[in-house]
Amino acid sequence: MSHKNIPLPERQRLRQKMIKKHNLANILTHWFNVASWLLLLSTGIAIISSPRLGITPIWWQEMFRNLFGSDANLIRFHYTIGFLWIFVILFNVLIGFRKYFVPFASHRMLLDKDDIDWMMIKPLQMLGFRKDKELPPQDAYNAGQKIYSYFVVLCTIGIMITGPVMVFKSLFPPIVKQIAQPIHFICVFVIVAWLFIHVYMGAIFPEEKEAFFSMFSGKVSAWYARAHHEKWYNQMLKEEMEWQDNVEKEVLESTHLEKTSGAD
Amino acid sequence: MATKNHYAFVIDVARCIDCRACLVACSVENNVPMDHTRIWVYDQGLQGTWPDLSRAFVPYNCMHCDNPPCTEVCVSGATYKDATSGLVLVDQEACIGCGYCVAACPYGARYIDQSRGVVDKCTACVQRLEVGLQPACVATCVGKSRLFGDLNDPTSEASLALKNAMSVTRLDYEGNGMDADPNIFYLNLPDTSSIKASDTFGQVPQSTLPRPSQYTLSEAGWKKVAIPLVAVAMGATFLAQAIFFTKQLIEGEKDFED
Amino acid sequence: MPKTDVSQLSRRSFLKLGAATASALAVGQFIAPPVARAARQAHLLDSNGSGYISTMCEMCVWRCGVRAKVVEEKVVKLEGNPDHPHSKGKLCARGQSGLMTTYDPDRVLTPLIRVGKRGEGKFRQASWDEALDLVAEQMLSIKSKYGPEAMVFSSTHNLSQPLFENLLYGFGSPNYGTQRSLCFNAMIVANSITYGMEEPARDYSQVKYIILTGRNLTEAISTSETSDLIDSISGGAKVVYIDPRFTKTASKATEWLPIRPGTDLAFHLAMINVIIAEKLYDAAFVDKYTLGFDQVASLTMSTTPEWAATLTGIEAGTIRRIAEEFGAAGKYALAHNGWRTSNFINSFPTERAISILNAVVGNWGTTMFPSSGEGAGVLGSPPQPAYPRISAQRLDGVPWMYPFVPLKIGVFQQLRDSIVAGTPYEPHGWFISRQNPVQSLPDRQKTLEAFQKMDLIVTMDILVNDTDWFSDVVLPEASYLERYDPLVPMGNQVYIRQPVIEPQGEAKSALWVYKELGTRLGLADFFQYKDEVDYINQQLAPTGIPLETLRLHGNATLPTSTGSDIYEWSTPSGKVELFSSLLEKAKFDPVPIWTDPPQPKAGEFYLLTGKVGQHTQFGTQNNQLLHKYQDVPRLWMAPEAAKSLGLSDWDTVQVTSPVGTVQVALQVTDAMRTDCVYLTPGFGHLSMALRTAYGVGASDSVLHVTYTDPISGGQALSQTFVSVKKA
Repeated sequence: MSHKNIPLPERQRLRQKMIKKHNLANILTHWFNVASWLLLLSTGIAIISSPRLGITPIWWQEMFRNLFGSDANLIRFHYTIGFLWIFVILFNVLIGFRKYFVPFASHRMLLDKDDIDWMMIKPLQMLGFRKDKELPPQDAYNAGQKIYSYFVVLCTIGIMITGPVMVFKSLFPPIVKQIAQPIHFICVFVIVAWLFIHVYMGAIFPEEKEAFFSMFSGKVSAWYARAHHEKWYNQMLKEEMEWQDNVEKEVLESTHLEKTSGAD
Repeated sequence: MATKNHYAFVIDVARCIDCRACLVACSVENNVPMDHTRIWVYDQGLQGTWPDLSRAFVPYNCMHCDNPPCTEVCVSGATYKDATSGLVLVDQEACIGCGYCVAACPYGARYIDQSRGVVDKCTACVQRLEVGLQPACVATCVGKSRLFGDLNDPTSEASLALKNAMSVTRLDYEGNGMDADPNIFYLNLPDTSSIKASDTFGQVPQSTLPRPSQYTLSEAGWKKVAIPLVAVAMGATFLAQAIFFTKQLIEGEKDFED
Repeated sequence: MPKTDVSQLSRRSFLKLGAATASALAVGQFIAPPVARAARQAHLLDSNGSGYISTMCEMCVWRCGVRAKVVEEKVVKLEGNPDHPHSKGKLCARGQSGLMTTYDPDRVLTPLIRVGKRGEGKFRQASWDEALDLVAEQMLSIKSKYGPEAMVFSSTHNLSQPLFENLLYGFGSPNYGTQRSLCFNAMIVANSITYGMEEPARDYSQVKYIILTGRNLTEAISTSETSDLIDSISGGAKVVYIDPRFTKTASKATEWLPIRPGTDLAFHLAMINVIIAEKLYDAAFVDKYTLGFDQVASLTMSTTPEWAATLTGIEAGTIRRIAEEFGAAGKYALAHNGWRTSNFINSFPTERAISILNAVVGNWGTTMFPSSGEGAGVLGSPPQPAYPRISAQRLDGVPWMYPFVPLKIGVFQQLRDSIVAGTPYEPHGWFISRQNPVQSLPDRQKTLEAFQKMDLIVTMDILVNDTDWFSDVVLPEASYLERYDPLVPMGNQVYIRQPVIEPQGEAKSALWVYKELGTRLGLADFFQYKDEVDYINQQLAPTGIPLETLRLHGNATLPTSTGSDIYEWSTPSGKVELFSSLLEKAKFDPVPIWTDPPQPKAGEFYLLTGKVGQHTQFGTQNNQLLHKYQDVPRLWMAPEAAKSLGLSDWDTVQVTSPVGTVQVALQVTDAMRTDCVYLTPGFGHLSMALRTAYGVGASDSVLHVTYTDPISGGQALSQTFVSVKKA
């Protein structure tokens, strides 16, 4: 059942009703990640100074070197923030492994048939084709977000390994440190490449506006959820209904118990 | 790059007796690990036929080039040409000891100190220059083969030696689009094609100097893999979102509920 | 509460007492160990224990001036003292590495007493009191049983030698071994006969033509002299280098003459022949200042270049040309006395011929000068009684076998041989200070045999070297950076060796050890000083120079004695004695006469020895910095010879001489004559306590046969012939 067939009053009701999508931990982690990335990316780019590679403009390098006083300070700042970032991310993953990470990973990384269908249709639709085709229902995260997750998780692991290799420099042979550098760079910029889409979709693309605000409030409207993440919405609905059923059942059971106990 | 000072070594090969006082002095002054050395005396080996033999010793260390190939490849800027002194130095706090520069140096004048995980090389004893002393190797050179000074100062020992020299040889390296312009000026240098490493520190990579700059496979990884890959990925995604955004601007924001 | 003597407290217990009451600086001054405290008081070090202290090198016997950089009471760098004439601001590789000798991880830091069998290298640590009591008791027991001459003493040439001599002569022994007969006895005896001085000074500033006879000055480095030689070559001086081996000096020379070993005398006699025949000599100088020119002229009449060519393997024309060039250079010419190649039994006449060659061209006063010499001079010394009368014969045969050898130099190898032979009497104890006869004496097996005959061997050193390995009691000496030594003037200057850091462990200076031991032997009167500083103060007393001034500058100018006329020689005639009446009286040849030296049989090689610029004799191989920069010591052999023996580079070869065999890697090199092999001395250590040096190279002392020059007592170190085969 497509959301397009829903009658208007029902739509209005659904738009008023807010469903919780992100918990506070996820929101904070997300914005901590954003802040870390801004610092790490700007300083990281400034560190890369080889004229042979010609990646970073001289003015950018010099601005940061002047800001921090020296290469060494700049690098020290970079890896200090880096370690903080690694620590917070790993801490979150480990501490909230059951409660947050497993659901997060299952929501974001398990692809089903609908996801694959979605991927076949969505990009074309965004370009203005196949408007006739119905998008398959999506989980809390759509297939695009799920694919992005794979890159993010893999590259994050890459960054977290290659970074310390370069910091704990006496523990690793030169060849390892030589290879670590381009890998670190690739990992970072693969994520950055996806970030164009991520930021665009999250903050600018009109259909996903609610997703952007949800990163502050943690909530999306039921309408949005139903339209974009139908599976998840249905799941939520089901859970809600089950919960209601359970409450009713419990209420019933408790009154029954009272009766029996009263009989004792 | 014009620098305020232009420090250079002037080495009279005819005066070098291979006593190795410079090597020991350098090791002590700079705490060089026992299995490494910052400076060398290359041995030409016996030349000619018995009994008309000759043999020359060529003192050797970082040439503090005007256009150093090593700084070109350093990813972090840890190795740099000092803007004041013109010396090629390594900021060991910024260095991770990857060794790109070690391979790139046409003179084999750098080594990796694995105990600290950094690259090390001749610094012309900057710590001594600061207090008005000559580099340790120069100060103790028994044959007075090694001279050191500022070529921007016409009265320095090095400038005077060059001015009075009949002929001066530099082991210049030109290749890979580089012209290193080294700052060791040799007097009385014999045919360099015969120079070979001495027994003691035989890890010098090649018999003839300078050798071509080497770029390691993983450094090639930067240029051949990392940069193109990232450029393509970023280009593609940027292009995609640019198209969406343009479309959005053209079509205007439609409320998707309609 | 018992009264506490603060000076007796260790640093830690002092801190426990509550140093917080004192100001930080005062604490630093107060609790600093003695050397640092004294250096601070003398304003040599700042309150952190950092600064420069002037002292004197002891990595070889040349004694360069050193400025030691000290940071927080550790010595971190040594610099040549620019004010010292021997260093002129330079130090060689050995001098630069000196702090590694002091900080050698193998340093012996407490007295050791042998517990295993002799030569097993098993020792236990002991206190100084126990060690010295034991040594004194045993020495006195030997003295009472066999007489004082049953104690043998030996030591290398060093600054605390006067006190060592007090110990042995006070004890009553005549048996005194130095290393000099293994080195340059021939040269100094020849010079003494000719010029009345051991070694005239050379001045390279005006020299235009130099003949170096086996004087490998760029590898046997005397910093200032090597430096001066390079300066003069750079200034255009011509150098003729005579050596069977193409050394680094040969590479700097204008001309290299690969002479047959043992024939340097023939070459020099031919030189003299040409110079006299062609009247190239300085007739005025010869007439006025020399004695015996006519005898020399008549005796060299037949020693033509053609005659010498067949002996030396150098073309007659070359010899003639060199003689003419040398004569033409006249007073700007210099023939350097050799050290090594002429180490044949004919070394002495060779050295005499070189002295004569210098005299006839009249270079005295231009390139050769009287040496300023060493001597107590105007310095004072603590009072001491006369030595007891010694009636026993010296075991080293001086003067009864070797009348011309100076008493204080002796014939060390003969001393060892007398011990083995037990004639003219049996010695029972041997006190060895700063010396390694196991490595330095020829015929190592014989030296070890001599050790086995001893009831007592006492050694004093900074490492357990090969000799200490066989010792009964090892006394740990402070290194040269940790101690004072007595002052010895050089000309009108006096230089000081002073401690720059605390002695490591329990190490003590020689002055302290000799005094403590002397006192236990009942010889306290010979050591009338409280400590090292008191000794030096007594030396300085007549000069009025305060010790503080000397310590601060490292040197001081002594009140000048009247300069003597340089044209006066302390020979019997007061002239330069080309003809020696002394030699004639002793029934030796009064002018140098050619005799054929022995030659190797077919299949044998001359075994040459020499120097490398990175090591001093046998004592520096354990220095890690020198080890780092040394060449692998190998046996040099000419390609032709190697080919005929089926040997190639880096083969392990077995070298056999009449007295021993070693195995060593081969170095095939054009730098050798085909009839010679060369082995760098000083390697092949026996002592496993030398962890850096042990197992490196082979010892030439195993191979050398003992041949002693009857006049100078010098060991003929190049007269041993060896055979080589693949191991």
